[in-house]
Amino acid sequence: MKKTNLEEVNRNIYDIKNEDKYDYKIKKGLTLTIVDEISRQKNDPDWMREFRIKALEVYNKLELPTWGPDISELNMDEIATYVRPKTKLNTSWEDVPEDIKNTFDKLGIPEAEKTSLAGVGAQYDSEVVYHSIKEDLIKQGVIYTDMETAVREYPDLVKEHFMKCVPIYDHKFAALHGAVWSGGSFVYVPKGVKVDIPLQSYFRLNSPESGQFEHTLIIVDEGASLHFIEGCSAPKYNKVNLHAGCVELYVKENAYLRYSTIENWSKNMLNLNTKKAIVEKNAKMEWVTGSFGSKISMLYPMSILNGQGAKTEYTGISFAGKGQNLDNGFKVIHNSPNTSSVVNAKSISKNGGKCTYRSLVKINENAKNSKCSVSCESLMLDDISISDTIPVNDIQNDEVEFSHEAKIGKISDKAIFYLMSRGLSQEDALAMIVRGFAYPISKELPLEYAVEMNNLINLELEGAIG
Amino acid sequence: MIKLNETPVRTSRNFNINNIKLENVDIPDKVQDFDNLEILGKNSKLTIQENVSDFDLEYGLGDILTNHVKEKSNKKIRLIIDNKNNEELYLNFKFDNNNLQLIDNIEIIANEDTKSTIIIKYESDKQINAFHNGIINLIAKSNSQIDIILVNLLNNTSNNFISIQNKLDNNSKVRYTLVDFGGKNSITNYYSNLIGECSENILNTIYLGKDNQLFDLNYIVNLRGKKSNVDIEVQGALKDNAKKHFKGTIDFKKGCKKSKGNENESCMLLSDTAKSLALPMLLCSEEDVEGNHSTSSGKAGEKELFYIMSRGFELKEALKLMVKAKFNKILENIKNEELKNKIIDEIDLRLD
Repeated sequence: MKKTNLEEVNRNIYDIKNEDKYDYKIKKGLTLTIVDEISRQKNDPDWMREFRIKALEVYNKLELPTWGPDISELNMDEIATYVRPKTKLNTSWEDVPEDIKNTFDKLGIPEAEKTSLAGVGAQYDSEVVYHSIKEDLIKQGVIYTDMETAVREYPDLVKEHFMKCVPIYDHKFAALHGAVWSGGSFVYVPKGVKVDIPLQSYFRLNSPESGQFEHTLIIVDEGASLHFIEGCSAPKYNKVNLHAGCVELYVKENAYLRYSTIENWSKNMLNLNTKKAIVEKNAKMEWVTGSFGSKISMLYPMSILNGQGAKTEYTGISFAGKGQNLDNGFKVIHNSPNTSSVVNAKSISKNGGKCTYRSLVKINENAKNSKCSVSCESLMLDDISISDTIPVNDIQNDEVEFSHEAKIGKISDKAIFYLMSRGLSQEDALAMIVRGFAYPISKELPLEYAVEMNNLINLELEGAIG
Repeated sequence: MIKLNETPVRTSRNFNINNIKLENVDIPDKVQDFDNLEILGKNSKLTIQENVSDFDLEYGLGDILTNHVKEKSNKKIRLIIDNKNNEELYLNFKFDNNNLQLIDNIEIIANEDTKSTIIIKYESDKQINAFHNGIINLIAKSNSQIDIILVNLLNNTSNNFISIQNKLDNNSKVRYTLVDFGGKNSITNYYSNLIGECSENILNTIYLGKDNQLFDLNYIVNLRGKKSNVDIEVQGALKDNAKKHFKGTIDFKKGCKKSKGNENESCMLLSDTAKSLALPMLLCSEEDVEGNHSTSSGKAGEKELFYIMSRGFELKEALKLMVKAKFNKILENIKNEELKNKIIDEIDLRLD
């Protein structure tokens, strides 16, 4: 009997390469001179320049992770950490250079802006090339801009929050980010303002042998709410590219934030990204993550539940195909009473790909009456792939309800048989099961991404399963 | 400081679970004799060879303790099982003032088509500072069935280190019941290789911690043979400042088609200063398998407590009943009534 054959991600759109044109590209490597030059090129204020230099010192002191995928092929001497595209920041797509505009057109960003978004940011290599926000949100005091503008125009707000949630001492790539960050988005939603339509930032890395280090800083003030969508992609090159972005989210008292990500980096990308949220009293933080691209991914979004009654949910799926090692997961720290977390993670491994779910649940001594429920499912689609589950559960008080469940396995022959007995062809039965497996995630995605994900998970069947 | 009991796969160092670091543990360089071993059931068709010297350990707690057994062992025992009638052999090690250090190397060979039960118990007088570092190495040959009951009733000032290694051939069935109550530090490494087709390993553990006891349980089961099967069930309770690390790994190796692995760990917290850390890992390099794990932590159910107390029991007695009920299914594995009652008495004693 033949094997199930699941189509891998169709990368035609994402693999469009533009000519490597730039206004300025820093020389490869990571030295004090290079960091200083990035700061000069970006016209940083003094405090930011000093911050970068301090981060570089920390980077040089910290060691590479002693766990997880092998990232020894990463050679910072071969990576250009700053590439400025040949354009300024624009507020109209008409002003964006043709080749860059075409790329975002094909990725569907301007179209999505027209139909379903309240604001858009688009980054190309190291700088944001387009940013817009609907007029009514500006009137309500919502700020949505690129990080560089935020550093200049809202220095107090930025200084108070920038790399406080993700300190440079967190790990080596957080320090690297602090030293060479460029681009990204800044969002501030004032008290009580509900942003009903999502904002979206899209990050595109076109330049070969380079890195993208965008910084996303979102503050949702008391009683406010926001849905923020992040997309990212890059064409494939033969040599390694690096993504070490940083996302810092502050969800204040009674606020709500949903952060959705569709990660579709090319298969030469090392995705070593850091995302953290600080969640205050009675606030709620939701993460929705689809991870399809990258050669290696090490990404563990984290919620720190600091306020009483704070809540978080993580819903994520990883799909690893040939040559991919996706080491993803979630971390949550319960720091206050009556906090709760729900985790629903899924993964699909095929064609020699490796998926790892790695996580931490920590319920501290003072987090009385806290609850946590974790569910983790892995689907193996052939016998040359790998799927690992590595969850750490650290429970430090007795007034908790904690449960963790994980399952691993193949598509059940019985389920196929049952569906076929109801008149479905074997191909349709398989397609239904795989889509059903992914449904809890896809239903949480914005519509256009859900459609895209269903296209990605497109079954091509040759006869029966074996 | 010594670093012990490494997990087969590392995770972030900040999670404090890749290994265990112990301070102020005195590993004796000069080891005294240990004479207080009682062997019951010698008349069964078991060959008991003392002072044998074979040594073979793939994993273990770490080089320091493994070499300690290799070089300083004061009790070497080889058990060769040829009987088919499930006769019981009971090794009872008693620590006292004259027998403070036991470094034992126990080799068990269950020959083909045999059936047996081996009980190994370590217990100590109350007021001593005992040290135990041991290895159990089991070879279960084709169609053998073996039931091993390992009971640690040391006092809470002693140190207990044990490495267990199993190799299972075709159709062999190995069940371990671990009762882990004693030791200031009780550190266990369990490493099992299911090489044969249709081999089966059941591992049932109960642990009970109080005062400042630390339990570090590192269980690793590699499924290699087709249709092999592992079932790990761990039930525990912690009071006072006791702490437990549970690291359970089921590793589906390439070739173990149609194998199944289940792992369940549940910890009842009886005080707000007890700590439970768990890392239940599933590693999978084979498609046609089924793996499940689950862990849970929390205090005793309020409804159940209320029900028991409404029947006239005080809180302490009600909690004891709940702990015993939690352990009961695993205690049913122990057919030796005297030993089972001793363990139940010990639960009462330790929860007083």
